[in-house]
Amino acid sequence: MSAILLGYMQWFLVFCGSVCIIRLIAGPTAADRLVALNILSGVTLGFLVVRGLAEQRALYLDVALVYDIFGFLGFMAIARFLKDSFSKEEQ
Amino acid sequence: MLIREILALIAFFSATVFGLAGLIGLFRFPDPYSRMQSGGLCGTTAIFSTFIGALLLAPSLIIALRIVIIMVFFLISAPTGSYIVARFIWQAGTPTWNPRKRKSSRDQRQEEP
Repeated sequence: MSAILLGYMQWFLVFCGSVCIIRLIAGPTAADRLVALNILSGVTLGFLVVRGLAEQRALYLDVALVYDIFGFLGFMAIARFLKDSFSKEEQ
Repeated sequence: MLIREILALIAFFSATVFGLAGLIGLFRFPDPYSRMQSGGLCGTTAIFSTFIGALLLAPSLIIALRIVIIMVFFLISAPTGSYIVARFIWQAGTPTWNPRKRKSSRDQRQEEP
């Protein structure tokens, strides 16, 4: 039963990520794309955790932790870059 | 072991419900602020329920401790990311959704004294 649960959760998180990618591509403004990117980061983190649990390997969980840290830093950098470009357009 | 699997089933079921609700709201809501609210539902509540279910199914103490560390860091980083997105959207000058603009002229006339 545990393998069935973990396999189902992996497919559900892959589905969530693909729907977020649709929003990421089709979003009309940069704000919608940032919202979709924020969700996609969390969904990928959850997928890595569930995958590592299904494979019974702790290495995936280390990858998930480092992915979360660097994804957060990269996300802050993207938001800062987009804010600068917006303020230049206004001036 | 069976009790843990049943509790994990409940956690995964709540993750499914919250994730689907967040995805529906991501496509149905009109402006980026409300989209961010429903996106926070999918991106925080569903993922945290997934973590709780994974913690219940963890086979050894090492994996459980790593999942706890990831949960603590996720509780710090996910609301901060949502806050950064909200501040970016607000400073970019995105207008909020005003439902009164979509009403017919009859409703506007009734609101005026």
